[in-house]
Amino acid sequence: MAPSPMFWRIIRRLITANYGRLFVVLLALGAGAAVTSALLNLQIDAKKRLTTEFRALGANVIVTPRSGNSQNGNGATLDASFFSRVPGQYEGKPVPAVAFLYVIAQVAKAGTIHFEPAVLAGTEGQGITQIRPGRRTEYRTNFESDPNACEVGVQAASQFKVAPGDSLQLRNQGSEASCKVFAIVATGGAEDTQIFTNLQTAQSLADLPGRLSLIQLSVNATPASLNSFIAALGRQLPDADVHGIKQFAEAEGRIYSRISGLLSSTVLLILFLTSLCVMAGMSNVAVERKNDVGLMKAIGGSVRRVVRLFLAEAILLGFAGGLLGSALGIFVSMWLGKAVFGVAAHPRLIVYPISVALTVLVSIAAAFPLRRLASVRPASVFRGEE
Amino acid sequence: MFLRLVADSFTRRPRRKIISMAALAMGMGVATAALSVSLDVGDRLAKEFRSLGANLLVTPEADSLPLEIGGVDYRPANAGAYLPEADLGKLKTIFWRFNIMAFAPIVQSPAQLLTASAMEHPAPADYTDIQVIGTYVNHAVPVPDGTTYVTGIDKTNPWWTVAGRWFREGQHECVVGAALAKRKGLRSGDTVYLSVPDNSKKVQVFSSYAVTGILSTGSSEEEAVVVPLADAQTLARLPQSYRQLYVSALTKPEDAFARKDPKTMTPAEFDTWYCTPYISSIALQISQELKGTDVRVIRRVAEGEGNVLSRVRLLLWLVTGAALLAAALAVGASAAASVIERRTEIGLMKALGANSGLVGILLAAEQLLLALVGGGIGFIVGILLARVLGYRVFGFAPEPRLFVLFVVLGLAALITLLGSAYPVRQASRYDPAPILRGE
Repeated sequence: MAPSPMFWRIIRRLITANYGRLFVVLLALGAGAAVTSALLNLQIDAKKRLTTEFRALGANVIVTPRSGNSQNGNGATLDASFFSRVPGQYEGKPVPAVAFLYVIAQVAKAGTIHFEPAVLAGTEGQGITQIRPGRRTEYRTNFESDPNACEVGVQAASQFKVAPGDSLQLRNQGSEASCKVFAIVATGGAEDTQIFTNLQTAQSLADLPGRLSLIQLSVNATPASLNSFIAALGRQLPDADVHGIKQFAEAEGRIYSRISGLLSSTVLLILFLTSLCVMAGMSNVAVERKNDVGLMKAIGGSVRRVVRLFLAEAILLGFAGGLLGSALGIFVSMWLGKAVFGVAAHPRLIVYPISVALTVLVSIAAAFPLRRLASVRPASVFRGEE
Repeated sequence: MFLRLVADSFTRRPRRKIISMAALAMGMGVATAALSVSLDVGDRLAKEFRSLGANLLVTPEADSLPLEIGGVDYRPANAGAYLPEADLGKLKTIFWRFNIMAFAPIVQSPAQLLTASAMEHPAPADYTDIQVIGTYVNHAVPVPDGTTYVTGIDKTNPWWTVAGRWFREGQHECVVGAALAKRKGLRSGDTVYLSVPDNSKKVQVFSSYAVTGILSTGSSEEEAVVVPLADAQTLARLPQSYRQLYVSALTKPEDAFARKDPKTMTPAEFDTWYCTPYISSIALQISQELKGTDVRVIRRVAEGEGNVLSRVRLLLWLVTGAALLAAALAVGASAAASVIERRTEIGLMKALGANSGLVGILLAAEQLLLALVGGGIGFIVGILLARVLGYRVFGFAPEPRLFVLFVVLGLAALITLLGSAYPVRQASRYDPAPILRGE
């Protein structure tokens, strides 16, 4: 039986009967929907943001020669062609990748004769600062474009007493080279003791033209998607060993599950509060409408029709509150994302229908007090009895 | 009469009061839960981040430049300086000793490995060059105050997983890196023979070790054999010493103040800095306690941790704010609803000669009573809720705090008054006649 025009007229009257109450109910539903959609959107976004945040920890994928057993600084090596086969992009985002060749060379400050061994890391590729996080304590950009420019770890710099602008002499098994220091880098790791030159310098010193020790990548992907990246790259480079750096992947997964649990339990609590709030309003409605329902029943309205009327009202209210509130919530979440992660959260369309649906459900659940109206007996209402 | 009116309104229509009380209690319960969880969770989250690994590295001050590539130091074992193992207990005597979550000293040396099958008649190809790493696992370190502290690499590097079990000390046991085990076909229960070549002797002595587990770390340790520190010291002939110490410390994320150079601080500033668990002040305290060391902050871990931690904390407070807002709304709405429904009563009171002020005070007194009782119940509900939530999401139950009770009661009173202020004002202005006629 299709709802008659009369049905809609009654609904309209029911909803507009008391503007104050309509406002309170819509405010509660709208605020609930807003918080729900904001938190759900933030939850999806937090995964990506956290992944990005963890990229500040440096490389998370490493490509090494298959038999990685070496006792001298440059044992097993990779062919340089591996580096060109590493994808430059993943999921639309650039993948910083740097190829390294390590050589233990004899090093001295230009003009001195006291040579000491140090690890030389020849590097090539985009994004060394993402791969090797830390601070450049001293940095002279005007030297960086020099083909012989090199960066020196903070410990190595104090050992060799060099500052940006100084030069270093490098020697290994008869080959010689020199480089001009353009930055001092502090990472707190092994990099502090190393000297970073360009790849060709290291290759010619080690007499290993076209060879690499390893390739490091910083892939901006969630833990699950990172694993599929590693598997794909492993198939693409069958002669090399591709593995993820476990240290960060595990911590990231654990922390995300905490945040996600926190956000979803908050959403549940807030939906529950919203329904309580609406229920408080609806229990007044139930009392007020006794007379109306008594009249409806007296002129032949079945209980089912009356219940349908109130259900339709609840759904309409929930829908209106949900539509308005969720839209607001998505804007709020963009702002929240900016406040928390420094980047506005990307609005997800999937969140909108979900939070509208949740609001409608909450509104139906909150109409529970109206069930009392089903048991209204017209005669006693008209006599003025309660 | 005033008190009787208030009491009557509670006892005559208990059902309605119960509904608005329930809304109030639930709202305040959520507020309590959110507050308790976020007050306690900061420390827990910081501990969670310690699963990133050590954030401080202690090395000898007068050391030659380490030749470290991919976690392996290529200096011969007799080059470079070492630190005395006996001092390690002092780590637990620094000002922030309770923030030292774990530490693990490392001795590393190139060594040779023979498998049991090759031991009888070893061919030159059977001697495999490997790294042997000595460290603590579940090791009881004596602390100068007479107690012991159990720590080890299993705590500093929780992502290291062992298929089988970790070695026990003094039992000639070892764990073998996964890549090495695969290459040499080693399994738990096998025996391997290890030796650190001594160039001054003609005959190399190999000692046997039982493999108790296969170690996966995701980096160069998978090519190494890990033994208890004491065994590595014996093998490498470096008694009672270590070369590197990894320390995992619970820290406060660095802010602008922490980045100041301690040398330029005023004495008062320095005290504040020293008594705040910044990574840099803990590093200073360790280097004061362990003489002749250089304590460096592992930047990639410390900074990554600080960034993520401060963001997650902010998120937590925002979520708490959202929960408080929703709770306030629920409470305010139910307060408003409970006033609206009493229009007839208010009309009657005014018809009998009560003035608007008296009606307002009466309603406010009722709401306050409701707020205090509801807020109290809400606090108890909230504590239970916080336990459930805290346990499920973060694996711990927050402690109930008196401070939260006061905040919640104050909030409940404020919100119910605010929520009912407008309807009460409206109600006290009602003209009694139409209301009593039922219009």
